[in-house]
Amino acid sequence: MTGMRAGVFLFAIPGLAFVFAWHIAVGAKVIPLRTVVEALVAYDETLFDHVVIRDLRVPRALIGAAAGAGLAVAGALMQGVTRNPLADPGLLGLLAGASFLVVLGSFAGLSAPSAIPALAAVGALGAAALVWGIASAVPGGATPMTLVLAGAAVTAFLAALTAIMLLLDETSFDSLRVWLTGTLAGTRGATEIWAVAWLALGLTVALSASRQVTALAMGDDAATGLGVNVQKLRLAILLSVVALTASAVALVGPMGFVGLVVPHIVRLTVGHDYRLIVPGAALGGAIFMLLADIAARMLLAPVEISTGLITALVGAPFFVWLVRARL
Amino acid sequence: MPEDTLNSTMIVGSNIRPAPTLRVDNIRVAYGNTPIIDALSLDIKSGALTAIIGPNGCGKSTLLKAMARVLPVQSGHVLLNATPIHDMPTREVAKTMALLPQGPVAPEGLRVKELVAQGRFPHRSLIRQWSRDDAEAVARAMAATDIQAFADRPIDALSGGQRQRVWIAMVLAQNTPVLFLDEPTTFLDLKVQVDLMTLLRRVAHEDGRTLVVVMHELNVASAFADQLVMMRGGAVIAQGAVNDVFTQDNLLSVFDLSARVLMDPESGRPVCIPQVSP
Amino acid sequence: MTEKVWQRLDGALTFSLPLCALGMLIALSALLFGVTLIALMSGSFPMSAGDALRSMAGHPPSDMAATVVWEFRLPRALAAAMAGALLAGSGAVLQTVTRNALADPSLVGVSQGAGLAVVTLLVLYPGTPTALRPVLAFFGALAVAALIQTIAARRSNGATMRFILTGIGVAAFLGAVTQAMLTYGDLNRAMSALAWLAGSIHAVNWGDVQILAITFVLIVPALIWAARPLEALRMGSEIATGLGAAVTRDRALLITLSVALAASAVAIVGPLGFVGLIAPHLARRLARSGPGVHLALSLVTGAVLVSAADLIGRTVFAPVQLPAGLVTAVIGAPVFAWLLLTRRGN
Repeated sequence: MTGMRAGVFLFAIPGLAFVFAWHIAVGAKVIPLRTVVEALVAYDETLFDHVVIRDLRVPRALIGAAAGAGLAVAGALMQGVTRNPLADPGLLGLLAGASFLVVLGSFAGLSAPSAIPALAAVGALGAAALVWGIASAVPGGATPMTLVLAGAAVTAFLAALTAIMLLLDETSFDSLRVWLTGTLAGTRGATEIWAVAWLALGLTVALSASRQVTALAMGDDAATGLGVNVQKLRLAILLSVVALTASAVALVGPMGFVGLVVPHIVRLTVGHDYRLIVPGAALGGAIFMLLADIAARMLLAPVEISTGLITALVGAPFFVWLVRARL
Repeated sequence: MPEDTLNSTMIVGSNIRPAPTLRVDNIRVAYGNTPIIDALSLDIKSGALTAIIGPNGCGKSTLLKAMARVLPVQSGHVLLNATPIHDMPTREVAKTMALLPQGPVAPEGLRVKELVAQGRFPHRSLIRQWSRDDAEAVARAMAATDIQAFADRPIDALSGGQRQRVWIAMVLAQNTPVLFLDEPTTFLDLKVQVDLMTLLRRVAHEDGRTLVVVMHELNVASAFADQLVMMRGGAVIAQGAVNDVFTQDNLLSVFDLSARVLMDPESGRPVCIPQVSP
Repeated sequence: MTEKVWQRLDGALTFSLPLCALGMLIALSALLFGVTLIALMSGSFPMSAGDALRSMAGHPPSDMAATVVWEFRLPRALAAAMAGALLAGSGAVLQTVTRNALADPSLVGVSQGAGLAVVTLLVLYPGTPTALRPVLAFFGALAVAALIQTIAARRSNGATMRFILTGIGVAAFLGAVTQAMLTYGDLNRAMSALAWLAGSIHAVNWGDVQILAITFVLIVPALIWAARPLEALRMGSEIATGLGAAVTRDRALLITLSVALAASAVAIVGPLGFVGLIAPHLARRLARSGPGVHLALSLVTGAVLVSAADLIGRTVFAPVQLPAGLVTAVIGAPVFAWLLLTRRGN
């Protein structure tokens, strides 16, 4: 059974490679796929196209894939641990928390490459704690609806604080504003390396805990009966989710809905075993993000809209459909 | 509640109209396309306590809700004095029948007196927001259920049994000749169940009200009800006086329960003892 | 311990009103007057209370004072108070109907629908008169609410939860479309649209105040009607039906009322987050009462909140003006968290 479902990966991996190549081919100037492949295997630094591919497009594709993978795995974990099909780093406030603290840090002068993912992680953690605290304090407790409502409230609060900071300092208006909508078009630097380190940490914890997360789906008591230390697992998952979210935000800014949509699609194909869902979400998230970025660059060409808008334009209707179908 | 604090003058109901006749005529109730109840007819005896019992999923709650017009009927009628209730204006219906659904949840922080007062809703209006009748009805209902001691406490602070008495006070304050209660005794201690059913029986007999109660506990039903309705698979299998209906054969065919039925010599009521294989 | 009430139990007209709540209503109104007065006094042209009052009464100490009060501060103060009241009323109705303490009209797509309508207008047809803006925003908001109702409607169980969640999803979608529109549009027009999107009262004129006032007059009878169905619906749909309320009809009407209240405010001053969320909670904390009086208390609380928020936004980082919407969000959220966490105190 698991073998058959794992067979999906045989299609997903070449699929990712194809989308990756397509992503590199697309841009202000469309580069034929043949040239893309040549640039990757037989690099010739005298050819302008090859330079563009190596220095601009491959990094952009890698960043997109990494961020997409991180967000999707984070979303899958959140959905498993909270037993809430509507959980997602954006909906529950983590993205708002991460980007808020990064902006705050930038005003306080903390913009070192190592600082950005760290700030994002602390911000995400704080926001998650706040959302969970508010939702639990309300009569009825942390149901899917209360969590989403609390997440919306916390997001609105943090977004307002961020907006005030931007208002008080007009010089940083443009670049940060664009980053805040979620985009792959940012400047490159050492930040990416730190972000990938956080991503690796998050993925490692996620993969090693995945078997136990499946058990959690039956309820805390049932999982304890199966030998799962629920408290420790929750903490580990929280660490993983925060690390993954922080790395994604450091790479591409707050990109909503990836963590919501991809896990559901992945679950449809590989089932409910998190040993398959986690790697599946990583692959699926990478593909999703690359496709979204392709759409962002091609839809209103030559104007490039933020990828975050595309993920919202796709993800929000998906969310509405989910609510109608599942609740 | 001690027997001697309850006497008939304290129970709600000085202005009650004669108990109307309640009849279910060939109704079909479905969720979407799935029928729960089909071609069901039933006569409810006025001024008596009727208990509806049956295994899980037999449709007893559905039947009760259809009778209380909370659920629509796809065909057939529920008739109150020969008028279909689904055609009557809902406010008029509310002055004749009251419903206490299963597991009710009060708004947070609501006090006992405020919840009981809620029962007066159909009798009030924009210009008659709170009259002497309302105040008296609430006072009588609270006296009957013996909850005056915690009139100003929030409901969340009460025990399960106390809370249930408050909800019953609410439907009593509504002052209707017919009352529907959906599993009012589920999850309560046996002593509390007995006290509640004693109160309900008094309301039926001493005020002449028609009570229809959906219940789970067989022996409590047989001890207090006048009429019994047994359901299974969305249909009425047996109905009538308790002693006639509560038989070994019926328990077997309705509940798949092998049990002996003994008569309690003191009360004259049947009691079932499940047969336990050694 | 029984509460003191003012009641009349016999006759054609009967009522019972808690004195504590009535007293609080009067106190809040006085507070609103105080905040408004301070708003008239403060700004880049400071005035004494006496001067401000005299200017209002038609005997201004100088032409400058008259202009400042009548052209800028008074319409702004009135608009802030009325918008706050409308939003608070919307929140109070929504929270009671949905039986959820976290329901906020600004979360369910109303603001975003209004926002998208206005931004579309500004970006695609920059020549249209400003007076048309509120009308368009209002219909944009209502259209979104109708859309959400249609999407969310199915069985009667859980309809309100689906309504709120659907609203959040639709809001996110519309927000993205609005952002895309801003990216695509001309930068200058985008800037003015952005200011309005943050929720700002600074651009209101007497025309806007008139529209708000008319809305108020129309809506007050609806609010008086709403008190009874709210009372029944807060008990849940089954008990409400048992008590004789027309649940499906009343719930639809009340949600429409909530949306209309919020849309009216958003159309004039843009989205002001959190007012609809916290004003009803604050009102309940100030005095216990039935849903009708609570509605009235919420209205005045909302008016005070937004008036204060606008004043703070105007003065705290002067000369930089913070839109009232940002202030309400920044102050509102911690207040809300505090309200939630101190709830179990009784």
